[in-house]
Amino acid sequence: MDLDKAKQTFIIEAHELLGAMEESLLAVEGQADPAESVNAMFRAVHTIKGSAGLFGLDAIVHFSHTVETALDRVRSHQLILSGPLVSLVLECHDHLSSMIDGLQQGDAESPDSHAEGEALISRLLPYLEGHPGAESPAGSALATRAKGTPPEPERGSWHISARFGPDVLRNGMDPLSFVRFLGTLGRIVHLSPILESLPQGPDFDPETCYLGYELDLETDADRQTLEDVFEFVRDDSQIRLIPPHSKVEEYVQLIRELPEEDRQLGEILVAGGSITAKDLEQCLQLQRAEAYEGGRVQGRLLGTILIEEQAVPPPVIAAALDKQKKFQERQAHDLKVVKVQADKLDKLVDLVGELVIAGATAKVLAALSRDGRMLESTAVINNLVEEIRDTALGLRMVQIGETFNRFRRIVRDVSKEMGKTIELEIHGAETELDKSIVEKLNDPLMHIVRNSIDHGIEPMEVRRARGKSDTGTLVLNASHESGSILIEVSDDGGGLNRTKILAKALERGLIAEGATLSDQEACSLIFEPGFSTADAISNLSGRGVGMDVVRRNIDELRGNIEIDTEEGLGTTIRIRLPLTLAIIDGFRVGAGNASYVIPLDMVLECLDLGPFLESEEHHLINLRGEVLPFLRLREIFQIPGEPPSRERVVVVEYGDLRAGIVVDKLYGEFQTVIKPLGNLFRQVKGIGGSTILGSGDVALILDVPQLIQSAAAVTR
Amino acid sequence: MVELMKLNKRQAQAMTTVQAEQRGQYLAFSLGGETFAMDIRSVKEVIQFTALTEVPLMPTFIRGVINLRGAVVPVIDLSIRFGRTFTEVTRRTCIVILEVGSSEETCVLGIMVDNVSEVLDIGERDIEPAPAFGSNLRSEFIAGVGKVNGKFVILLDVNRVLSVEEMASLTAETPAGK
Repeated sequence: MDLDKAKQTFIIEAHELLGAMEESLLAVEGQADPAESVNAMFRAVHTIKGSAGLFGLDAIVHFSHTVETALDRVRSHQLILSGPLVSLVLECHDHLSSMIDGLQQGDAESPDSHAEGEALISRLLPYLEGHPGAESPAGSALATRAKGTPPEPERGSWHISARFGPDVLRNGMDPLSFVRFLGTLGRIVHLSPILESLPQGPDFDPETCYLGYELDLETDADRQTLEDVFEFVRDDSQIRLIPPHSKVEEYVQLIRELPEEDRQLGEILVAGGSITAKDLEQCLQLQRAEAYEGGRVQGRLLGTILIEEQAVPPPVIAAALDKQKKFQERQAHDLKVVKVQADKLDKLVDLVGELVIAGATAKVLAALSRDGRMLESTAVINNLVEEIRDTALGLRMVQIGETFNRFRRIVRDVSKEMGKTIELEIHGAETELDKSIVEKLNDPLMHIVRNSIDHGIEPMEVRRARGKSDTGTLVLNASHESGSILIEVSDDGGGLNRTKILAKALERGLIAEGATLSDQEACSLIFEPGFSTADAISNLSGRGVGMDVVRRNIDELRGNIEIDTEEGLGTTIRIRLPLTLAIIDGFRVGAGNASYVIPLDMVLECLDLGPFLESEEHHLINLRGEVLPFLRLREIFQIPGEPPSRERVVVVEYGDLRAGIVVDKLYGEFQTVIKPLGNLFRQVKGIGGSTILGSGDVALILDVPQLIQSAAAVTR
Repeated sequence: MVELMKLNKRQAQAMTTVQAEQRGQYLAFSLGGETFAMDIRSVKEVIQFTALTEVPLMPTFIRGVINLRGAVVPVIDLSIRFGRTFTEVTRRTCIVILEVGSSEETCVLGIMVDNVSEVLDIGERDIEPAPAFGSNLRSEFIAGVGKVNGKFVILLDVNRVLSVEEMASLTAETPAGK
């Protein structure tokens, strides 16, 4: 097994678990019955601890053990999850997160990290009062087996009997790692390896596991914890747990069922302190007297063995069954989600793109061949290709809700820091975006939200004075809007102060004295680099390095950002992003002897120019009473030659802007793959990519937003 | 007749390194009656001239784009880039597909040439530095002058000639008309 790869998986999963844990922590404060969330948190830390143990990451195990213990107390209602405790656990979550990140640099914990961890643990200790047995496993780390008092001759420890299946080593499990891990749960009082199964000489296969051991462990961990330790080998191996203070009969049963010689096993148990020598003699005699069915126990599930041995009291059985059911349900749910590497997905989308083009070519050739059956066959293929296309592209879509939810934590932390109470409302969380867009949106949104909290929403006294509610509201909204995605961040704070902005702009020489600016233009000033009207710089914002970067990021996504503000009432920032996927439905038009493609979802309608022409001089058309600007592709692209007598107009819409694009010919709808044009053509305004037609020719895809904006600018 | 050549770049590179920096291989082609050559390591393939799709508002040296097995590749007229005349399309006109750029950012481009002749084997000793004057080409475009069979061949520095940043900035200067 590739340990590095496994560790990478561990890191990814640990982060997911931490994410779930954080979500639960934030949700808990508002819940009447937080039991489910508490369980979720506990499970998250527990799983991380367990997995870390398998990799021998002692520092993480050590830290998470304390956190887990505290959460366990909450779970068993010995501790209430108060506000300060939630904050502390959140800090522990952050520390765990940085520890996991630190794994990329190596397993050893840095001294700073260690100090931080110890500090957090000491703050957790008061919450662990009255639980002396669960103190930090620092005392029971790896090397402690030799330390401490000699084993008490009582049945005070758990007895664990393990016979590992032959494939355990092949599956990447190391019997010794279990011993180590058990060592962190308590004190190993006694350990006897069972080596009888090791074959001699040529029969010995180094990759097969012949090992087993009998181990006595003094611990306060519960049965479930101990069982979970062996989770990965449970199916192949025979693991039996006998709780402390069990009756002799159980040990006897154990001795009977294990394949090795009875006396020998008995002696091991005596050595471990599970039974006394007298008990051993007794049971051996019993054995000789009774008929003994003997034989090995082959491959029974641990749960079944325990239940049959009656080592588990009935109420616990019921709980166990319940848990099993939940586990199965969870497994079923997990199966519904498959983790896929991002580059495999990209490759798939690329291939689908090529398929779309090839399909188009086949269609053209089939039409030329005039073979009816050929035509029908290619039609069927193209339909299937379309379906595959939609599904493949859908794979890359993620809900923006994930990103929005991350802000809950930020809003909470920041508002506490600022001493404001702010409520976060999220709408449209199910709106789906391409994965890459979502990732790039994170930083800009973060900045805008921080601005709202820091500068937008006023402190409580100011709000009261203005007659507003004490709690400020921040709304995150996402929706689809005619071929683009609209994301809004609104707050009911103080709005942008126009006077202040103008003053600052004047100060910085961005505008001239006495210049008059519209509201929109005034607001756009805040996008200038280094601009900030904040009087005080907090560690969040006010440095003036934010909004220009935000706008640049949005530009890179070929989107645009606008501000809607009203002084005293609040601000709404709108980000509009085009839904440019790799494969789009396009509408082909012709100008000169070249073809151009307009994204279909921006097309409203197509008309003849003649009847709708309002003014050639001002480039306006009259669409049933609505006057719209138009632009002629021939003019924009300086295409030589005369336009045809009968020109066409394609009316397009982007956001709330509409315009007409005048072309020579209309061809029709078709599916196409967007091929980027490369750095060489980045500066060209009006072209957003290229595509390959079924005929093999290249057609240029029009960048409608750019074209519309330039048409609108001319009219103004 | 122009043959369709597909050079195995790695093979070419291996060959040149085996020859221990002593001899380099250069693809010779003619442009406007003059013979030039360029290092074969940048050359991906040579194809016959096919239909170009023109891209509007581009400086004239960018003739357009072509469809190269599904990839859209821009084609540059080297003659115009050198400040000379438009390249007329004849039966022998070819497009040489190159890969230029640094290790982080490579770009695939095509250049139009009148015809492609042969692969020249030129040793380092036979290469002289670019002349300070005399050639009507910008000096930074010339990597050196090679001597082959008594004749002189101008060796081009492909990365400079086809510097994407330079060409992109020229593109920006071209008026993007309204």
